[in-house]
Amino acid sequence: MRKLEEVLNDWEAVIGLEVHAELTTLETKMFCGCKLEFGAEPNTHTCPVCLGLPGALPVPNKAAIEGIVLAGLATNCDIEKHTTFYRKNYMYPDMAKNFQTTQGPVAFCMRGHLDLDVDGPAARERHGLDALEPGQAEGNITRTEDGYTAHVGITRIHMEEDAGKMVHVGGGEGRIAGATHSLVDYNRAGTPLIELVTEPDLRTPEEARLFMQKLRAIYLALGISDCSMEEGSLRCDGNVSLRRRGSAGLGVKTELKNMNSFKNLHDGLAYEICRQAEVLEEGGQIYQETRHWDPSAKRTIVMRVKETADDYRLFPEPDLAPYDLSDEFIEAVRAKLPELPDQKAKRFEAEFGLSAYDARHLTEHGSTARFFEGCMAEAAGDAAALAKPVANLVINDVTAYLNAHEGFALDGSPLTPERMVELVRLAEADSISSKQAKEVLLAVIEEGKAPKAIVEERGMEQVSDAGAIEAVVDEVLAANPDKVEQYKGGKTGLMGFFVGQCMKAMAGQGNPKVINELLAAKLDA
Amino acid sequence: MTQHLTESDVRGIAEYTRIGLSPGEVGRMTADLNSIIDSLAPITEYDLEGVEPTFHPIGGLSNVMRDDEPVPGFTQEEALSNAPKQEDGCFLIPSILGEGGDR
Repeated sequence: MRKLEEVLNDWEAVIGLEVHAELTTLETKMFCGCKLEFGAEPNTHTCPVCLGLPGALPVPNKAAIEGIVLAGLATNCDIEKHTTFYRKNYMYPDMAKNFQTTQGPVAFCMRGHLDLDVDGPAARERHGLDALEPGQAEGNITRTEDGYTAHVGITRIHMEEDAGKMVHVGGGEGRIAGATHSLVDYNRAGTPLIELVTEPDLRTPEEARLFMQKLRAIYLALGISDCSMEEGSLRCDGNVSLRRRGSAGLGVKTELKNMNSFKNLHDGLAYEICRQAEVLEEGGQIYQETRHWDPSAKRTIVMRVKETADDYRLFPEPDLAPYDLSDEFIEAVRAKLPELPDQKAKRFEAEFGLSAYDARHLTEHGSTARFFEGCMAEAAGDAAALAKPVANLVINDVTAYLNAHEGFALDGSPLTPERMVELVRLAEADSISSKQAKEVLLAVIEEGKAPKAIVEERGMEQVSDAGAIEAVVDEVLAANPDKVEQYKGGKTGLMGFFVGQCMKAMAGQGNPKVINELLAAKLDA
Repeated sequence: MTQHLTESDVRGIAEYTRIGLSPGEVGRMTADLNSIIDSLAPITEYDLEGVEPTFHPIGGLSNVMRDDEPVPGFTQEEALSNAPKQEDGCFLIPSILGEGGDR
């Protein structure tokens, strides 16, 4: 199979996403007062409503309606005041009442959009970017200095409920094929679920990944879901089709499932694009089917072929009254909108003089943004001067630590904003080198001590005193007259040797900046 | 009585809704359904051009919601009390190979 970037030279991928998010921060289910609890004993949170017993009447959870309106406002959707719930009928044991309550043609949130900043390596997947000047727009993208901005339409976000959980027994690895029987747990049945559907505006797997990351950051900022892709409270399906570059029609699409991490979302889509290209280039045909991404085998496999559209006999739910949301209701929800990641990034740029890149990465996660702001408050009058070095350590080293240590959280960790600022002040004053700063950072997290204490304990204090360093520099030069001669004769590459000798003489504690300056002054004199 | 639905239509509907009907019942059900559809005929005599559909039988009811506060439901034992079979606190159901479960 050819590589993605080659394939995308000849073919344009048309990608749309369907993103389900459970409103896990609520106390109760969508249509009944049963408690929401992940990992509880099976069937301990059920009632006549979520078990679909005859005569039970559902009543919607007000906080869930507020949650979806909040999601709509944060993604630039129009809020539809007049909407209603529908029944989507299907026979499957994961829903005891044989239908899922969802919404019909008019959802609470319609016609939204998100703008994605795509830059760095992520922008390389986009075809034809080099032909555009910064500021120039084509289709739904606008070229920027180091990438582009993509305008991604959101068709709708509708309110629905999650199904129960099934475990298949007797087959291999819990699979349904070969299973002798299945076990059903209805604790999850009726969990408030919002489904966001994008327009087919995405063109590369990177755009799809960035869209999901941005949406997750927004939902987390809103506090409506814990957005765990691993535990399934945030799930994503992708629809992909290909068309020849320059053609406007749409190809046959496949639906991709089981992309339960950002990496799987990207890799699954990338594989599927390459697979479709290969089939089409060999004169084959793409079938409209649902495929399952298998991350360990790194390929997609057919789950089932959709021969006809499913007939869910969607009709208005007679047990639920329609909605006629008031302006007061919508405005009360709007008043609860927190500062969103994009707004926070803009503020970080303006307030602390950070680059757009730094500001975006600092605001991707609420806890990181909070930590950074804590540091800036701690730095007080020096905030402007310390913003960049603090940002560098947070974006590179702290993020790397967070990624490598699952379960480690910044909030309440030994790495307090106070210690972070103390550390950065040490590095800025050249008391320790930037390399040592990274070592101290790790030690602060793992030993729970203050940076100054660690520096002292490990005897790391960097010598920046010019007098002390000059003595060493003179010694080194006197001990190597031949090398000095060669340097003056043009072998300037020897500078590294002199710096190394000085460092060795000072047991690694000399300030490299001062050593370099003094050596240069003496050798180039 | 007009023949709106044939016996074959009714067998299809029964299969779709997982209702088992004997051949005799199919005949009776076909007659019943056709007469029900007949009884709706008068509605076609009204001019409904521009009339909004009624989504709920109780006019004027809207925005019915409850606060997000837990109320006690069933215990596990109660939840499973009507289940023909159970295992490990779950409803035990026969093998269900085939389509479905896709929303």
